[in-house]
Amino acid sequence: MGKQTWKERIPAFASVLGLLVLIAAYYIVGAVRDANVAYGLKAIVNQSVVVALVATGAVFIYTLGSFDISLGAATGVSALLGAMAYNATGSLVIMFLVCVGVAVVLGFINSSLASVFNLPIFVTTVAMMSVLSAFMLILIGWNGAGDTVKVKARDVRPLDNIPFKVFILVSYIALCWFIFTLLPTGREAKFIGGSPVCARLSGINEKKLGIIASLISAVGIGLGAFLTIIYAPTLTKDTASSIGMDVIIAIVFGGMPVSGGPRSRILSAVVGAFSMGFMTQIMSMLNLGSGYGQMIKAAIFLLVVFIALGSQRGKLLTR
Amino acid sequence: MKKPSLFRNLLLSLLIPCAVLLVLEIIALAKGVRLFVNADSWKLFFRAVANVTLTTFALSINLDSGRFDFSLGSVSMLSATIAGTLSQQWQLGPWLTLAAAVCIAAGLGLIHGGVYVLTRIPPIIVSLGMALFYEGCAFAFTGGKGVSLVTRTDIIGFSQIGNYILVTAAAVALIVLLFDYTRFGANYRALVSGQKIAVETGIREVGNALGCYAVSGALMGVVGFIGMANTGSQQMALNFGSIGIMFTAFLPMFIGGWIGRYINRRIGIMLGAVSMALISLAYARFDTASSVQSIVSALLLVLFLIYLNNEFAILSRFRRKQEVKS
Repeated sequence: MGKQTWKERIPAFASVLGLLVLIAAYYIVGAVRDANVAYGLKAIVNQSVVVALVATGAVFIYTLGSFDISLGAATGVSALLGAMAYNATGSLVIMFLVCVGVAVVLGFINSSLASVFNLPIFVTTVAMMSVLSAFMLILIGWNGAGDTVKVKARDVRPLDNIPFKVFILVSYIALCWFIFTLLPTGREAKFIGGSPVCARLSGINEKKLGIIASLISAVGIGLGAFLTIIYAPTLTKDTASSIGMDVIIAIVFGGMPVSGGPRSRILSAVVGAFSMGFMTQIMSMLNLGSGYGQMIKAAIFLLVVFIALGSQRGKLLTR
Repeated sequence: MKKPSLFRNLLLSLLIPCAVLLVLEIIALAKGVRLFVNADSWKLFFRAVANVTLTTFALSINLDSGRFDFSLGSVSMLSATIAGTLSQQWQLGPWLTLAAAVCIAAGLGLIHGGVYVLTRIPPIIVSLGMALFYEGCAFAFTGGKGVSLVTRTDIIGFSQIGNYILVTAAAVALIVLLFDYTRFGANYRALVSGQKIAVETGIREVGNALGCYAVSGALMGVVGFIGMANTGSQQMALNFGSIGIMFTAFLPMFIGGWIGRYINRRIGIMLGAVSMALISLAYARFDTASSVQSIVSALLLVLFLIYLNNEFAILSRFRRKQEVKS
């Protein structure tokens, strides 16, 4: 095999290069606009850390070639139940356990339904998203305090700091990286995503792996829900509603193929989530307005994916 | 092998809508309400049939070819926004506004398809980018205020049962004609069933894909116009707020697939949409909370999929029981 030229190497690093360019652009725009860059950085971490957590876990699901659109709704339900548990007990530990526990139960139901009844995972998660969004409305109604569920901000303020959030994120990434890279689970997941038939013929249990992937992802959802409460202790029906789509964007933006397989990487999710965070903050500093900001975001997203695809384009149209 | 009779096929294809109607009528009877109580109920029913049929066509045209499309809602929103604005500025009548919405939406679909075939990015990812882009366009175009046509009685007057039936019938006829009786349709089916072989035999995949995106867009233009004419306004959505419309199309698409075993699949989709419209009407007549509606719709989808994906096992078990009894 010949040595790769720099042109051939670019696609592999397109997402990381994209992030570096965005960081540079953030500082340049910040300097030109005389914006409070440090404050903006804090906002970026606060916004990106939840998406990064959920997306890092979701890498396991996407690696299998599956797709989960209910991640945002699952985060919302876990956060709501966690907040209600805190209001009932006054214990942050119980709130944490409820957030993670609920997410794990939901992940298990989702994956078991798909495995036991041979359902297409995407449509199962579409149905799950509807059920969970509706369940959020019911939970808020049960709480009987208008259209929100609140945790007292002063109770969670001690945990609302960047080092704590980064610690949670780094710990979870380390755990996922260990499972994904050093344990057979990660290799088997890549195998299934790359070639499901060969993987099945090699004796890999696709259903079991699907459930494991959902459970690992659920831990990320639970952690994301916990940090959501800490950052924004007033929860509504829209809490975490955009996370499901943000996760897909983050994973793809981070350079991972949405079809999964051997090119999947744990760090894609983090790179993608923070790229989106920087991009949103740059748009905000430029005062472009929501509409133009979103148009530019979409164009950059497509451009980065286009570069990341590199020479993988075939003669036939991709499906 | 004995050929199934036309009558039997017709009966089986009407089974689901009739069963849905029967169940809903029984529930309505138990609750002491009537499903079709006045002209508004009929209007709601036919509007739902039109919206769901067209959205399901728009989704399935590309999904059958393995191209998932998240941008349907944004195409509908942006085309209605531009057509509504043009209608205000040039005082266009309802049919001209509808035509404008269809042309604009077809153009948006074509742009989407163009980005897909030029970049060769997986279609699901392109659709995410295009959904974000079109939402942003609509928002920027109106400054986030949306379009209000509440004073335009001619546009609002479009919301009539006759117009809904006309639009639905025209869409079904055109789609059946295009996909079942033209060279474009034959190429489309060949590409669906064997992409590589179809391309190697000389079928132009790019042109076909662009056509599919344009047709899918045009259908969503009609959906956008119907929604705008019904409420007299077009609201804006950002951050994928427009994708919800797509989820209403899944159940009718699967029902259409099942009915398609006995009758033309496009007609099957319309019958699936009729079933969904009956359920929507029942929600309205029974004053069902939106949360309960979401849960019931999701459960119906899952239950139907469980049946579809385990049909052989379920039917074999049922037949075995029958054999034991006899």
